[in-house]
Amino acid sequence: MEFLSNLFMAFSVACQPNNLFFCFIGVLIGTLVGVLPGLGPVATISLLLPSTFQLTPVAALIMLAGIFYGAMYGGSTTSILVNIPGEAASVVTCLDGYQMARKGRAGPALGISAFGSFIAGTLSVIAIMLIAPPLANMALKFGPPEYFTLMFLGLTVLTYLASGSMVKALMMACVGIFLGTIGTDIISGLERFTYRSYTLMDGLGLVPVIMGLFGISEVLLNIDEQAAQRDIYETKISNLFPNRRDWRISIFPILRGSLIGFFLGILPGGGAVIASFGAYAFEKRISDHPEKFGSGAIEGVASPEAANNAASQGAFIPLLTLGIPANVVMAILLGALLIHGIKPGPLLMKQNPNVFWGIIGSMYIGNVMLLILNLPLIGVWVKILKIPYPILFPLILLFCLIGSYSLNNNVVEVMIMIFFGIVGFLMKKFGYEGAPLILAFVLSPLMENALRQSLIMSHGSFSIFFTRPIAVTFFVVALFLLVSPLIPGLKKRPKGGDIV
Amino acid sequence: MKKYDQISGMVWLLFAIYICIESLRLPLGSWRDPGPGFLPLGAGICLGILSAIAFSQARSRVEERARGGWYSEERWKSLLLILAVLFTYALFLDFLGFLVSTFILLLMLFRFVEPQKWVVAVGGSALASIASYVVFELWLKTQLPRGILGF
Repeated sequence: MEFLSNLFMAFSVACQPNNLFFCFIGVLIGTLVGVLPGLGPVATISLLLPSTFQLTPVAALIMLAGIFYGAMYGGSTTSILVNIPGEAASVVTCLDGYQMARKGRAGPALGISAFGSFIAGTLSVIAIMLIAPPLANMALKFGPPEYFTLMFLGLTVLTYLASGSMVKALMMACVGIFLGTIGTDIISGLERFTYRSYTLMDGLGLVPVIMGLFGISEVLLNIDEQAAQRDIYETKISNLFPNRRDWRISIFPILRGSLIGFFLGILPGGGAVIASFGAYAFEKRISDHPEKFGSGAIEGVASPEAANNAASQGAFIPLLTLGIPANVVMAILLGALLIHGIKPGPLLMKQNPNVFWGIIGSMYIGNVMLLILNLPLIGVWVKILKIPYPILFPLILLFCLIGSYSLNNNVVEVMIMIFFGIVGFLMKKFGYEGAPLILAFVLSPLMENALRQSLIMSHGSFSIFFTRPIAVTFFVVALFLLVSPLIPGLKKRPKGGDIV
Repeated sequence: MKKYDQISGMVWLLFAIYICIESLRLPLGSWRDPGPGFLPLGAGICLGILSAIAFSQARSRVEERARGGWYSEERWKSLLLILAVLFTYALFLDFLGFLVSTFILLLMLFRFVEPQKWVVAVGGSALASIASYVVFELWLKTQLPRGILGF
């Protein structure tokens, strides 16, 4: 019965005209940035964050969330038609999607990825409704030691799954923790690393750092590598509806992809990219004809597309129930919630049920909108793809500049963004990932508080992390992941792509 | 990659030393009640150890086949130009106001980085700066700087 009343609440909030409108704007922008390579959901959400300050918290979150999962739909279009992933979670879709397009089957490829995403999105919303309330109840028992070890675990998982060297990923996590300590210390009131800068007293802003590391640096990389020219596969897109045979082949990969994606999405540090790689690898492994993968197998499109969508929705669970962001986008949404005066965590569902259920309900409605936006309007998106990069990049830079300035009307933050743009460019050139840095940066103040409170509770004894059952479980898992690369026979780590 | 990993490992090591020195100037507190310098010092020490590991791993590794340089010979001028234009924009934004500085910024980027025709560059810059002004200042009510000219 509770399930039904929650469901009713979810849809009654999501269907208010104002919320419907911002949901539509969100998924529309999401599809747009998903289609455009070089502008991802991370940069877009941080750019639009300041403009949501005047909205109600529910409408703001609905719109920002829409951008995130909308980008998952849009990204596949670029992967299939251009063989360049519109955003990182669609990298795998290139493998079979582009081959399908070359064989004249662009229509079914686009169709199955939209339907697959829709089915996965629907299943995830139902799963969130079932899982979130009990999880939030459990989280009420968490104290500072549990939160500290959980965040520690999240960071460890992220570095463990990093695509490159684990040492480098851990280094980036350390840098992120350090950056998070810049500003006035909440407990003692002392300034740390501010050098008397007024801007730094409030801490380093999340938006300028993210837009620098992911927006500006991406433009610099594209200019450097002249990724400007791209080839759109000129084909007439027909038969967007997959035929009965396509459906028969794809339906189970879609269901399996949804399941894999959902659980990898919940995992702190997991996320849509890992989910899509994982789902693809799994399908290939259990397939009767693995050799067909890579040459246009429709299940190679269906499964990862379902997985990345399920993961992007599953990621809301740790944010909304524990207050812990599972990935970079969730970290920005955490910032957005705090700005609106809402503290995500186990109490959110009780204190602000309209926010919690409104977001969940809007995700379902957003999925329906996306299906409509992406199938009949595919021609529009293809046209946008044809905008040449030399025209596009000044506009991307302009968006980043406005975004970083308008947050506090402060030019110093613009400088900070440009600085982190250079840092991000060099990091990518030298093989360091940005995701562990950002997640650590966001978690750092929360972790520091939890750590210091735990030590105050235990009178300075670290045994508090080993005597409480939940804390010790998180800690042992994290430790296992950290040392597992050193154990012979366990050396092979799963490889994801860039996590964002 | 070997040489680059050594260089980057060294840079991070120096950065870690900087973090540690600066953290030591803050009160560290005790285990019972950790002070503000506690976490940054911890992060600095971990970063230092990890950079040393990365450096020595890179040293002992056999050099794989050579890759291209970390910057491309022909493109670095474009990159420097973009960065110079962006920094100048940030410096003059408050003084010149949003519309003027944005127009100049876009003109430079359109015309000189991946050169477009003058008509495209001027038209595009004007259109984009006015459109963004309308959207952000008039519609979303973001307060963009007005500058000496008053707009």
